[in-house]
Amino acid sequence: MTKNPRFRSGLLASLVPFGFNVERWSYVLHRASGVILIGYLAAHLFETFQLSMGQGAWANTMATLHSLGPLEMVGLWIVAGSALYHGANGIRLVLNEMFGMLMGRPIMPVYPYSPTSLGRNQKLAVWATTAVVLVLWLWAGLYLLAGLGVV
Amino acid sequence: MAREHYSLMKESWSMLLTYVTALVLVFVLTIHLLLESPLTGLPLDATLSFGFATGNLIYFKVVFGLLLYAAVIHGISGLRVIALEWLHPRKRTWLLNLLAVALTGFFLALGTYTLVAVA
Amino acid sequence: MDKITLEVLRSGKKRTSYELKYRKGMTVLDALVEVREKQDSSLAYRHSCRMGICGSCGMNIQGVPRLACQTQVSTLGKETVKVEPLHGMRVIRDLVVDIDPFLTMHTSVKPYLIRENPSERDNSDREYRVLSEEVGRFLQFDFCIMCGLCYSACPTIALDPDYLGPQAIAQAYRYMADPRDEGWEERVELLDRPHGVWRCHVAGSCSFVCPKDVDPAKAIQLARVEVLKKRFLRKKPRAGSPLVSLVPVVAPKQGTKAPPFDFRKGEAK
Repeated sequence: MTKNPRFRSGLLASLVPFGFNVERWSYVLHRASGVILIGYLAAHLFETFQLSMGQGAWANTMATLHSLGPLEMVGLWIVAGSALYHGANGIRLVLNEMFGMLMGRPIMPVYPYSPTSLGRNQKLAVWATTAVVLVLWLWAGLYLLAGLGVV
Repeated sequence: MAREHYSLMKESWSMLLTYVTALVLVFVLTIHLLLESPLTGLPLDATLSFGFATGNLIYFKVVFGLLLYAAVIHGISGLRVIALEWLHPRKRTWLLNLLAVALTGFFLALGTYTLVAVA
Repeated sequence: MDKITLEVLRSGKKRTSYELKYRKGMTVLDALVEVREKQDSSLAYRHSCRMGICGSCGMNIQGVPRLACQTQVSTLGKETVKVEPLHGMRVIRDLVVDIDPFLTMHTSVKPYLIRENPSERDNSDREYRVLSEEVGRFLQFDFCIMCGLCYSACPTIALDPDYLGPQAIAQAYRYMADPRDEGWEERVELLDRPHGVWRCHVAGSCSFVCPKDVDPAKAIQLARVEVLKKRFLRKKPRAGSPLVSLVPVVAPKQGTKAPPFDFRKGEAK
């Protein structure tokens, strides 16, 4: 019997937001930023562990990081953006999931349909978090680029 | 529908832990980032010096302790969710949970050692 | 627009194009029927009511799950209409997919009224009374036509075939919110599992594609709140709420008129 897998399923299929609502894009970014942060967390714990090994070990670690050149700051900037987005969007998700907020109440559907869970309150929350994240990310970028002597 | 096997705790407990650590993290991570850079008025290079970094760890141990525990628990919990959805281990869900607990223990041990050793 | 091209991904493998003359008001289902009647009788797809009530004609149109009978070609804005089988399901043939896993998830949440005393079913001369404000709490979720579009659109379903899915969780909540139902605890246990309600990440695509505004995303979050209430606030289930009572139906005597029934009070005047 030939294998008949599910059509357009799997990791990549779950991360394709094209044609869908903006909250689907939030889901993809939240997941991607979470994965970046987990990777950074592991690396950061090993990095800070070097502090306990003495000044020499710490200096070696910093030298290794600085040898990456501008990639170090770019990498940190991406991590900063991930942390900002994941945190801000996470607050919105906690409100949605834990308290059922921003979803609206059960209604009598009237055509043309407009689901309240994707309504004004939810959209406001999504775009507000995006705006806040962009502003703070820009600021973080300027701060990090100052370390490069660019700004 | 896959049979659900015995687990130490209901999924809702795991999710409550994720939500609580998320809220703690938002607060503590903000403090961490502000402590490292903008509030100090120092350039990034200076905040990465051995003296400054160890000083922060010593004087703000509670903050960093909270940050460590919240970040590791939240992160590994999230990783477990991704693995559960992607791999859907079914009969081996207990193994995935065990790996998650082991990873959490490992990183917490690593971080706690750093916090304690830097005195 | 004079002509349209219907590009069908048959069985998820072979893309076949059909050229058709566009008629005003043409839906994608109309186009498929015309293709089958005049060009290619081997094209397989499901359809029935052609008016958006049966849920049979769900398919992926221009990358988004839609009902073919409810999708006007003109609203898609392009002369080439790309049609594929619903994503996340096994393809049986052409545009026909296997909906058994979807239906299995639906039945697994016990989508029927559960009463502690099953003998009440035998007393058919009585009925449960539901106030209109109580109906408002679950009526929206009752409009589900089980088309499978939400299931197909869900990113967690794409990744995890063991996930209950938006439709099943929405239906579980529909019954949890129903004052006549006494299976709240049972359903909380069904939802509070590794592949249950907690695997929703509020992508909202289920509500985005729902043709009946059932808004499953809302139902799922409300279901989560119910699970949290049970686990952490130790909420007790409603057991025989005084509002949910059996109302005797007054049968008229032979040759007499039935007394007028006041729906507000539930008693015969």
